[in-house]
Amino acid sequence: MKQLYKSKSNSSKLTAGALVLAIASAVYGQDATQGTTNSPATSANSAGTNAPVAKPFFSLQGTDLHIGNLPPITFHGFASQGYLGSTTYDYLGKSKDGSFEFSEFALNASVSPFAHTTISAQAFCFDVGNVGQYDVSLDYAMVDYNVCNEFGIRGGRIIRPEGIYNSIQSIDLARTSIILPQGMYDARWRDFSASIDGGSLYGDIGLHKGGDVSYEVYGGMANLAPNGGIARLLEDSLRNPPTQYLDVNGFPEAGIQLWWNTPVQGLRAGVFALYAFGVSYDYKLNIPPAFGGGGYHSVLNVPEEQFSLEYQWKSWTFQAEYRYEDLYSHNVINGITTTPTTHTAEDTWYVSAAYQANHWLQVGAYYTEDYANVANRTGDGTAVPSDAYQKDFALSFRFDPKPWWVIKLEGHAINGTALIADGQNNPNRNGREWYMLALKTTVSF
Amino acid sequence: MKLTNLKTLAAGIVTLWFSAAGLLAQSGVDVVANNSVATASLDKAALKDILMGKTAYWPGGEAVTIVVLTDKTDAALQEATGMSGSAFKTFWQRLAFSGRGKQPKEADTVEKVLAIVAETKGAIAMVPAGTTLTGVKKIELK
Repeated sequence: MKQLYKSKSNSSKLTAGALVLAIASAVYGQDATQGTTNSPATSANSAGTNAPVAKPFFSLQGTDLHIGNLPPITFHGFASQGYLGSTTYDYLGKSKDGSFEFSEFALNASVSPFAHTTISAQAFCFDVGNVGQYDVSLDYAMVDYNVCNEFGIRGGRIIRPEGIYNSIQSIDLARTSIILPQGMYDARWRDFSASIDGGSLYGDIGLHKGGDVSYEVYGGMANLAPNGGIARLLEDSLRNPPTQYLDVNGFPEAGIQLWWNTPVQGLRAGVFALYAFGVSYDYKLNIPPAFGGGGYHSVLNVPEEQFSLEYQWKSWTFQAEYRYEDLYSHNVINGITTTPTTHTAEDTWYVSAAYQANHWLQVGAYYTEDYANVANRTGDGTAVPSDAYQKDFALSFRFDPKPWWVIKLEGHAINGTALIADGQNNPNRNGREWYMLALKTTVSF
Repeated sequence: MKLTNLKTLAAGIVTLWFSAAGLLAQSGVDVVANNSVATASLDKAALKDILMGKTAYWPGGEAVTIVVLTDKTDAALQEATGMSGSAFKTFWQRLAFSGRGKQPKEADTVEKVLAIVAETKGAIAMVPAGTTLTGVKKIELK
């Protein structure tokens, strides 16, 4: 069954990669075969003068597909393939043995058929270890109506704003590093962290000499994939009898992201808040009912805040973010709360710097800390103290040999196991430092 | 030839060389747009809002399409947005792949830029000042 699934995954990966590369070839091959992409087409007639040639019904100009006289449909896409290797632990896949299960593919299309309106959609598939498995999903599909700079509406499946990187966490070519600070932007949770089904209100309000404030308020349903990061995490934590994991459920959430673009050129500050209502999962306790056995429905309510700072100065980019998250949990059986609400709080932060040396080389570094329980940051008194924290120093090199091609190399020195605390893959964990190497390449159009 | 004349000649040659290398500041560019764009002039703040994606539609409702003359207008982009050419491209890739904007079109010659602007409704671009403009309109930069 595992071999069959792996075969299907490889097949999906090859199909997705081939599709992106084929479209990219068609786009970049146009200049070679047609000269300028937009020269008016003419032909000589019997009188010896040039007359306009009728435009074909379907035509591809750059990344625009023209169909008759309709507004053009614009396509873009990318394909990323990475490699992860690590010492001591498996992280984001079977990295101790070296893992190529680290890929992303995306293809999007957009069209503006009416005034102030854009319709867009993006298909996406990814694989990070045993998460994603190249299942194609709709990353976003929405209608965007822009009333004015200060107010707009988006509806459908929309990308969630959260801090600097949430909306672009899977877009390798949009940043210097390969792996983002994982305590804040966990690659395994992409199935629900990236987008929601709902809507948002957005806009940009000028403050005259005070810069301007950008806002986006959203609400909707977050969907959890059956083979997504949360599902895998619950499967692992509940795999030992008598517990038996059953299912994880989507949940409603609402949030707001504010950015103050200050009067200082390149400096902006952000604040984000969300409330996730009733993140729930189901499991069974296979013991006699008299001892509490039966089906359980566990519910989490999660308020979260995130603060961001970014400064772009000449060829430098400096960033810092902090996130704090409360988790309120209780069990429900037959609509009745059976256990008192428990509370834990997690937090994480990072600082980073990146330097654009020239048009083909960027160098970046970041340091991040993640804590599973702010009340016990050192893990004292717990079975595995290193599960309380994970600290990571990363150094990245990004090369852009062509405008459409990115190559990256990255190293990590990590202390702690808060983000790899899964008993199945890493049963023996301690506080010793461990290391990770990441390589990645991306083509785009 | 006197030394001062030689120095003047050398300065002129250096200036010409830098211009040829494509380091054009905003004072050295013209803003052009598709003939469908009704706007006749833009101030620098309005141009910045367009280049940063904050203004995504023209007053008539047509979507803005930015066309970039790669490398040769980096200085003008830096002056208008505070971002280098590479940073500008990355900024727009972030918007485009998160559904929040339409990635600018790129071309490596002025002729190609003008052709794209002429054929694309709502298009806007910066080209070297004094370029012969055919099929497009010039927008006055205030």
